[in-house]
Amino acid sequence: MLRIEFQIRLAGIPSQIADIDSQVSSVEIDNALPVAGDSVFLSLTAQFGSDISQDTLAEKLPGVQIIDMSKADVNQHTYYLGVIAALSDASVLSLLTENQAIPHRIVGRNAHLNVVASVRDWNHLKEVANTVEDEHGSLELVGTTQTETIGFPLGGNKIKQSMSGKLSDKQLEVLETAYRMGYFKVPQEVTAEEIASELDISRSTLSERLRRVEHNFCELLFGPQE
Amino acid sequence: MTTILIINSVEQQPTVREVLSSVVDAGETIYFLRLPTVRCLGPLIQDINPMIEYDVEYTISCLPEGYDVAELVEFAVETDADRICIGISERTVTGKARIDDLTESVLLHDRISGDFVVGEHAIILEELDYAQ
Repeated sequence: MLRIEFQIRLAGIPSQIADIDSQVSSVEIDNALPVAGDSVFLSLTAQFGSDISQDTLAEKLPGVQIIDMSKADVNQHTYYLGVIAALSDASVLSLLTENQAIPHRIVGRNAHLNVVASVRDWNHLKEVANTVEDEHGSLELVGTTQTETIGFPLGGNKIKQSMSGKLSDKQLEVLETAYRMGYFKVPQEVTAEEIASELDISRSTLSERLRRVEHNFCELLFGPQE
Repeated sequence: MTTILIINSVEQQPTVREVLSSVVDAGETIYFLRLPTVRCLGPLIQDINPMIEYDVEYTISCLPEGYDVAELVEFAVETDADRICIGISERTVTGKARIDDLTESVLLHDRISGDFVVGEHAIILEELDYAQ
C-alpha cells in the first residue's frame, strides 16, 4: 500500500470559507458523514484572521447549513464547524472514496488543497490521480511512502480530535518539530539546543512550551489538577 | 533483468549503493542514466566500482537537454528495462519521499505500469509493462 500526498487548487467548502476572509490561514476537513439527498455532514477546523460569528458565516455561505460552531480554547480565531453541505463541496473526498482510496487529511491552505490518502499500488495511484485531475484540473504529487497499514482514515484519529484546541499553534510546532527531529527517541537523535536553534527560540522557551504540552496531555488523561 | 538507475546528482551514492546491494542481483545489467543536470558520473562510478564490488555489467547513458518524460520511457522500452530506479533527494516533513517533476511524470505516464516500491534512498518501479 502507498501513502501519497498531493496538491490540487483550492476547491469546495475550503475554497468558499477562504473566500470569506483573506486572512483565513487553513481549513481542514476533519470528518465527513453522508446524509440524504446528495449532501454530506462535514466537521471542519477553520483558522480565521479575526473573530467571526455564526450569523456572519451563515450569511457568507448561503448553500451551507451550519449545525454547530465553537471556538478553540487556546488558538485565537480557530473554529470547529459542523455543517451540512452539497456532496460537490467535498468533491475530492467523494472522488477518493468512490475510487476506493482512503483519505487521511484534506487541508486547504495557501490557495491549495493538500490531500493525504492511501492507495493500493501504482495502478491505483494512476486511476485516482486521473479521476481527480479530470475533476479538479492539474494535480501535483508531493510525496509518497510505503506502508503496511491503512493508518487513520479521515475522522479516525480520536486522539488528535480530543487534543484539537487544547494546544496552541506554537506548542504544536514545538511538539511536531521535536518529534520529527527525533527528540523523543531513545537514544535521543537531537538535543534541545538543536531544536531551539531550528525554531529560532531560546532553550528556556522550548522547555516551557514542551512542559505546557505535557501538562495539557496529562490534564486530558487524568482530569484537571486539584 | 535490466535496470535503469536515474542519476540526477553526483551526491547520490546512497541511492546507487542501495539499488546495487538490495534491488539488483549479480550478473544483471544496469544503465546509469545521467540527467543533463549532472556533468560527469566518472568519480561516482569509480568510487562505487559496480563491476568489482557488485558484479554487475553497466553502461552510462544520458538524456539530452530539454528532455521530456516520453524520451525516458522510450529509452526504457528500447532497453527493455524491467526496473527504473529514481533517487530520493528529499523527504517531506511527514517523512514521505518527495516526488520531483520527473518522478511524477513517470508515475502518471500512460505507457508504463508495474510495481512501485519506496526504499530508503530510492523509488523503485519494477516488473514494468509498456503499453503500445
